[in-house]
Amino acid sequence: MKKRPVIAVFVFAALLVPALFASCSGISGSDVNWFMGVVYQLSNGMWASLLLFGCTILFSMPLGLLVCFARRSRFKVIELITKFYISIMRGTPLMLQLLVVYFAPYYIFKISLSSEYRTYAAIIGFALNYAAYFAEIYRSGIEAVPKGHHEAAKVLGYSKSQTFIKIVFPQMVRHTLPPVTNEIITLVKDTSLAFAIAYIDMFKIAKELSAQQSNIMPLFVAGLFYYIFNFVVSFVMGKIEKRAKRYE
Amino acid sequence: MKKALAIILAVVMIITAVPMLLAGCGSESKKLVVGFDSEFPPYGYKDDNGEYTGFDLEVAEAVCKELGWELVKQPIDWNSKDMELNSGTIDCIWNGFTIQGREDDYTFSKPYVDNSQVVVVKKGSDIKSLGDLKGKVVAVQDDSSALEALTGEDATDANKKLCASFKELQKLADYNNALMNLDAGSVDAVCMDIGVASYNIKNNADKYTQLSDIISTEQYGIGFKKGNTELKDTVEGALDKVVESGKFTELAEKYELQDAVCLGK
Repeated sequence: MKKRPVIAVFVFAALLVPALFASCSGISGSDVNWFMGVVYQLSNGMWASLLLFGCTILFSMPLGLLVCFARRSRFKVIELITKFYISIMRGTPLMLQLLVVYFAPYYIFKISLSSEYRTYAAIIGFALNYAAYFAEIYRSGIEAVPKGHHEAAKVLGYSKSQTFIKIVFPQMVRHTLPPVTNEIITLVKDTSLAFAIAYIDMFKIAKELSAQQSNIMPLFVAGLFYYIFNFVVSFVMGKIEKRAKRYE
Repeated sequence: MKKALAIILAVVMIITAVPMLLAGCGSESKKLVVGFDSEFPPYGYKDDNGEYTGFDLEVAEAVCKELGWELVKQPIDWNSKDMELNSGTIDCIWNGFTIQGREDDYTFSKPYVDNSQVVVVKKGSDIKSLGDLKGKVVAVQDDSSALEALTGEDATDANKKLCASFKELQKLADYNNALMNLDAGSVDAVCMDIGVASYNIKNNADKYTQLSDIISTEQYGIGFKKGNTELKDTVEGALDKVVESGKFTELAEKYELQDAVCLGK
């Protein structure tokens, strides 16, 4: 029972690879070599995509919690500023935000940019954008906790922070797991937007291979990579969701 | 809770501070950062080993060797090229960069390739000449010289008339995408640089063919930030030496561009 999802991954891969070959007119040794070559080159780019993905998750999820607190702040000014931040992040294209993060130091402060800054700019841009989305997801999770729980905690003598950590936070996590999974999956695919600031990710490499070979198949191989990656993400998140359900 | 908040804040501050520091330092040894479109064979593309190569990049390599500089090959998003150049993240655009129509925006080296804009159609298509493009859907790369030749301020009357006769002029992100559209039948013809057209026709001789009529002729140069004549002169001087040594012609032959280059003859 437990091994089934793992098996599913293999079955899927085993089914799709031949399907891919069948579409490029017959299977031969050179096709296998071609496929391995494309996979090898894409796997180099996958590290760049994974780095961006990992760092974005690492920074945007805690930052989102912070934004969420600010959004629910008693102080009107902080609440308004945060509302504005969220509306900008959600209301403008991520690609534009990346261009702003990368080029603003030069155009506003006249600081000359280094090429290494591309990676940082991509991570900062993604983290800021995703933090806004996560903040709203968290907020929905926190506000879904019934008022009675707060009152009960108060009666039991819990402090505000204790109430949050012991009562509200665990429920929030459980409520928000499905939309968080959604965001994470979107993020996997969004990483390809980073090429706007010349951050070379896997999809860019697929496009380059496609241009070099005058053949569109590398794009499909890249699609396979994304699919498998997201398959793993959904699988892991599904496991976590199951665990969280134990407390229900 | 306060502790956790403090840690989160600290992490956020560190991640924002690190790039600022990094942006400040760097550039100890002399580097030449060449910006190019890595989907533009044979001038700049990725080879089978995953390395960036192409005629322009190999010439740039030879130029840097001449100067004792280090060449940094930076693939860029073609639509962001001006921002990249102006902000100093790249030193020049060296990638089949057409001079005509852009003279006021960049400082150009002397031309090194005579290029023409040609029309690529599907093999066996009933389009045989420019006149047959009437009522057809034609694709160009966005912000390309083919687009400039058809719709730009300096476009000839004949080209303007030609463009007006199209059913539609579609601007696509890259040539490969345009050729995919051609395969799929959603566009009837693609206007592109002759070098790129020959590369793709060579790879897919059974699929594409090129009209003998050309839309325009133009020249390629190395584009520097407007006013950066110092770097332009240095690079041009080294390029002259590369041409004199015969290396330039050798590379042109390697990429089958010997008919197109206009230096070393």
